[in-house]
Amino acid sequence: MLEIRNLHASVEGKEILKGLDLKVGPGEVHALMGPNGAGKSTLAAVLTGRPGYEVTEGTVLYKGQDLLKMTPEERAWAGLFLSFQYPVEIPGVTITAFMKAAVNAKRKAAGEPELKAAEFLKLMKEKMALVQMKADFAKREVNVGFSGGEKKRNEIFQMALLEPSFALLDETDSGLDVDALKIVADGVNALRSPERSAIIVTHYHKLLEYVQPDFVHVLKEGRIVKTGGRELVDAIEAKGFDQF
Amino acid sequence: MGHGKYIAPQKGKYQVAAGETLELQFVVLPGESEDIDVSVDLTGPGAEVHLKGLYLCGADEKVNFRILVHHLAPGCHSTQLFNGIAGGAAQVSFHGTIVVAPDAQKTEAYQENHNIVLTERAKVETRPQLEIYADDVKCSHGATVGQLSEDERFYMRSRGIPDAQARRLQMLSFLSPVIPAGREAEIEQALEKLQGE
Repeated sequence: MLEIRNLHASVEGKEILKGLDLKVGPGEVHALMGPNGAGKSTLAAVLTGRPGYEVTEGTVLYKGQDLLKMTPEERAWAGLFLSFQYPVEIPGVTITAFMKAAVNAKRKAAGEPELKAAEFLKLMKEKMALVQMKADFAKREVNVGFSGGEKKRNEIFQMALLEPSFALLDETDSGLDVDALKIVADGVNALRSPERSAIIVTHYHKLLEYVQPDFVHVLKEGRIVKTGGRELVDAIEAKGFDQF
Repeated sequence: MGHGKYIAPQKGKYQVAAGETLELQFVVLPGESEDIDVSVDLTGPGAEVHLKGLYLCGADEKVNFRILVHHLAPGCHSTQLFNGIAGGAAQVSFHGTIVVAPDAQKTEAYQENHNIVLTERAKVETRPQLEIYADDVKCSHGATVGQLSEDERFYMRSRGIPDAQARRLQMLSFLSPVIPAGREAEIEQALEKLQGE
């Protein structure tokens, strides 16, 4: 599904990723943990094509394609989704208008007809229920006046609507209370299938109690320094990242 | 006017008497150069004026706004919000003046002018001005000239919205406080035209 080889990447001339290797197979959920500044968000940015990040070495294959050559929208059409650590506010654009544009762009790229208004609204309702959004949510402006928890639930809502084959969750759990965390986790679990994969970037163990990862990686100074299973989460919880 | 360029209201001089409210909305779409000169006198206590403006300028168009709001009586209220986008090699100027006369105590006057510049050749000059001769007033003005946010656009593109469409959505978002009800589709078409330049 995703194969990262010897990835080096810089931001403003400073090298953040220093030879990262990672392989994610179909249906697998990988947790990526590490201290601040380890490169977790940089990896998410590079994989989704955020401007300002320069890849200086290495390759990323996604479903056999050279991911780094694709535009951000092409990556989305190919099934990649990033849940933003800091979702962006878009005043004057409703969630409905925003997501209708997104869903239909993806359908168009796949050669499918655009959804009719009624079909789209039905789909929206279904996915809103998944993240327990109230009816007025559809008419609200994207992330404007949202609480921290609502912003993250909105990310999961968008993910549910776009049904990506590869989800990257960048600290989706940070700043969430237990109830919101549970809603987010349920949303992620609802999408789990043998064809869909995910990387969950997190500082904390809490989300990983609800969403069980198949593999856990420790990222430090731009490289993966340790890979294991669930037990790694407990080790980090007990002794921190200094042990690696 | 030609090409249905800008619709009511008109340039000119207006007087608003005690207790009355005047609302004007300006829309300038790509196609022509235009000078818009408007002055409003608030002549009686409690008079109000609310001005909104939207302008989209492309090619080598020259669009100039000169707006004067004169508070002559106490307790009057004025608001101005003008948002515009300049593409191509357009030249836009916005000169907005609020004058508060010595007798016009308890005045509330607000003015904002925000601009997006799409190309290096497009030029925007904004000059808000406040002349206050009374002491018990609430007045503010603000003016910005900027570009479309890259973070915002990346967020849209990461959801699969193509770059050109994302830019249009951004422009619609920027203009949304000044788009007259029911004219969204027309504005969107005008934006497409502007993008082509």
